[in-house]
Amino acid sequence: MTRSIRVWEKKRGHRRTGSQLVGSVGEALFFGLLFVLGIVCLASVLTSQIVHPTPSIYEPGFGFWLMVLVLASFIVTGGWGVIHTVMHVGTSVERRSAIVRRAARIDLIRDALPSAKDYPNIPRDAHLTNSPGVNLAFRLPVASSSTWKLWFATAFCLVCSGLTSVLIVVAVNSHLRRSPEWFLTAFLVPLVLINVWSVIYFVRELWTQARVGPTCVEIDGHPLRPGMEYAIFLSQAGRFTFKSLEMALLCTEEATYHQGTDIRTESRVVRELSLFQLASVPVEPRAPFEIRQSVRIPDDAMHSFQSSHNAVRWTLVVRGEPDGGPQFARSFPVIVYPDVQRNGSGKTS
Amino acid sequence: MEPLISLMLRQTSRLYHPGDELTGEYQIDAVDPQEIVAVEISVLWYTEGKGDEDLAVHYFQRRVPADAEEGDLRRLHQFSTVLPNSPLSYAGQIVKIHWCARVRVFFRGGKDLFFEQPFLIAARSAQAVLST
Repeated sequence: MTRSIRVWEKKRGHRRTGSQLVGSVGEALFFGLLFVLGIVCLASVLTSQIVHPTPSIYEPGFGFWLMVLVLASFIVTGGWGVIHTVMHVGTSVERRSAIVRRAARIDLIRDALPSAKDYPNIPRDAHLTNSPGVNLAFRLPVASSSTWKLWFATAFCLVCSGLTSVLIVVAVNSHLRRSPEWFLTAFLVPLVLINVWSVIYFVRELWTQARVGPTCVEIDGHPLRPGMEYAIFLSQAGRFTFKSLEMALLCTEEATYHQGTDIRTESRVVRELSLFQLASVPVEPRAPFEIRQSVRIPDDAMHSFQSSHNAVRWTLVVRGEPDGGPQFARSFPVIVYPDVQRNGSGKTS
Repeated sequence: MEPLISLMLRQTSRLYHPGDELTGEYQIDAVDPQEIVAVEISVLWYTEGKGDEDLAVHYFQRRVPADAEEGDLRRLHQFSTVLPNSPLSYAGQIVKIHWCARVRVFFRGGKDLFFEQPFLIAARSAQAVLST
């Protein structure tokens, strides 16, 4: 027998098992209480200062101003939550979505959205076709390279080294004063080890970046369509021989979901088409490795897709393993449109 | 007794292509006409899978008693829309895209009930694969 009022309910993203009305009332109550709490407390804090002013508490720090900031955030969060809840009460998800769709028809807003009018939920390719290639029509921009790793390594190495240096000075001083800080000294041992690792990681990344030169990928047509063949040109600069170098076209599904209070994203490669795989590729500083290949988009390929929490992405990926260095991978996104041009139905770009 | 909502799509195969016209009709039974506050018909897609659900409405019509003949929203009503070029129906590993036509009926007292008919939008080249 099912209970009329469930104590515990499931919620995943925007979906929940219980009554929407009860949920909305609960939400409104929560945010309303937060709003009232913020107003009451802030008013009492401010009025107490008006009645009994204490000038010393206005100095910057973690006292009065932090309290004002926290209480103001209660008011803003609570107020916004109540308005948001009220706006959503009594309207179906379909109606809200239709309102959003109508709003997107306004030119100013539509231009800022990633989808073209004729191909909803397919990312626009304007930023992929605004750079002409030398050998083929378009030079594709790189989406993710190992540059961010170098930035991360640099930042981490700097922060870690700074912190370790300061703590080493404090610890050494304490030993020199003959009042040793043993806890700090013990804490320094793992910190120094982490610092050494961060320096090695930084140097390794810097070395790799310096030796693996830029990767350039060009294509003779864009956007891509199922069943069509496209010419690809790859130029890989560098200063050494690659043990292996390969290029592939990947189709990746991406799903973003809430798990508790965390937002997680899972990616899964669902299709991989190899363009070429080479071994022992010599690259000279003044003579980059160049290759021309073609890629055929499968007839049953899913088109690129992008919504708030889900996506299907296509990318050309260049992977290499330099001689004596770590592997690297560089991705070049491409957009695949659905096959509507050849069947004579629907609108075409 | 629960009110009955019937929704029928004209094309029995429920396989459509981008640019095709989707037509259908719906009707509500086993309820007093005064009990119905509004009826919404929408043609929409939604995602299913690992990620949070996304939903977008392609066609939407809301009718209240003032829009219906003699204020009776139960009567057979037809709708029609030209389907978009994208997104196509998709059954991936962690992302799935479903299309459906959905009728949602709002009753006095705040209760609402919906019924939906799923259908596929596929490229013409994929028709042979789907039919097998």
